[in-house]
Amino acid sequence: MKLTSEKQMNKFHLGISLGLLLLVGLICFLTGRSFLSLHQEEPIFPSAGLTRQFRLSHYLPNLSHTPGDTRVYLFEGQEKGGNILILGGTHPNEPAGFIATVVLIENLKVKKGRIFLIPQANLSGFTHNDPFEANPQRFFLPARQGIRWFRYGSRLTNPVHQWPDPTTYTNPAGQKLAGTESRNLNRAYPGQPKGSLTEKVAWAIIQLIKSENIHLAIDLHEAAPEYPVINAMVFHERAAELAAMALMDLQMEGFDFRLEASPPNLRGLSHREWGDNTSALAVLLETANASHGRLKGKPSVALIVEGRDNNYVRAAKLGRLFVPYDERGIPLSRRVARHLAAVKTLASYLGELFPHQKVEFSDYPSPQELLQQGFQPFLHSPRQER
Amino acid sequence: MRIIYQLILLWLSLNLILYLFREKRFSYQLSAALVLILFLLRLLLIK
Ligand SMILES: [Zn+2]
Repeated sequence: MKLTSEKQMNKFHLGISLGLLLLVGLICFLTGRSFLSLHQEEPIFPSAGLTRQFRLSHYLPNLSHTPGDTRVYLFEGQEKGGNILILGGTHPNEPAGFIATVVLIENLKVKKGRIFLIPQANLSGFTHNDPFEANPQRFFLPARQGIRWFRYGSRLTNPVHQWPDPTTYTNPAGQKLAGTESRNLNRAYPGQPKGSLTEKVAWAIIQLIKSENIHLAIDLHEAAPEYPVINAMVFHERAAELAAMALMDLQMEGFDFRLEASPPNLRGLSHREWGDNTSALAVLLETANASHGRLKGKPSVALIVEGRDNNYVRAAKLGRLFVPYDERGIPLSRRVARHLAAVKTLASYLGELFPHQKVEFSDYPSPQELLQQGFQPFLHSPRQER
Repeated sequence: MRIIYQLILLWLSLNLILYLFREKRFSYQLSAALVLILFLLRLLLIK
């Protein structure tokens, strides 16, 4: 009698153990799949106007087959003109720059000059997303048919790709920073050809600007609504005239920008080092992104896309924000529209100031169209050939 | 370097599985299972 019950007990324990092991396997499978999905590149469907697509390692061969080897899109007009570089995704948790370049890539037609677009400048940063922030890994936008997905990454290069961080980081421009900033692409300029992954990416971008003779280089960012440098157009001193002229136009169009001169002693940032190390006119643009602010409530896909957050409404009433903010929030379409408006205006004044650097392009959504119709008409359907 | 790291992980994971089957108290088994998840993820997903 006692023997059988002992046997039964053993069977019971074996069952429990196997059950737990199965549970372990299931959890590993689900979390592993979610983890690996962040390494999957989102499809981008270039318009028929695309001339060539290649990788950034074109400008620094030892970057090839690394997690920093990001996609570069070139649109070339029939007529010779100026050269423009537009960067999105320097900080992968600032989606407006990334999506603005995607919208351009999927609609653009260039008549005169050349436009280089890098939608995910820090590609490695798209492969992780600061788990402690509880941000969603992806967000979704309506396309012509169906829904498109995009990754919401981290401000910094993935530590899996660049590790360990130094205690203090002296960047290639000689500025001393906190150790984690060694993975911040916008502190790594002008980069180093044999440096860290982040420094290599920065170096390759500088090489692109130099070897393609870029006249105007624009770095698209976002910032938290409580951050003083917001809705800003940060310009290198050589781009001061261009920025001032563009600003007036943009304000007439109803986009409020504040001009900020690139501080000469803040080294390693795009607007400073592009301007100092190359002949390009360098401009950085910021929009207000509630999903990456400190005052936000629950992080969610809706917060990224719709930009509505009650905490920010309260903060605005208390006068703690540097942008107007109400119950309607600041949706991604409005942030992308701002970026596109600024790109358009800066490009047109480039041609006015330097007629031989004129760049003519069309077929991308006007800011008004984007504000009224949202992304749907301007994003290619998923899983469909061009 | 990586293979040494993986061998250590494999050894510890196998020990945890063994412990999971030997242990009779459910709370202890559950703890072992939770730790095992972290070890297996490390073992299989290391980049
Ligand atoms: Zn940024």
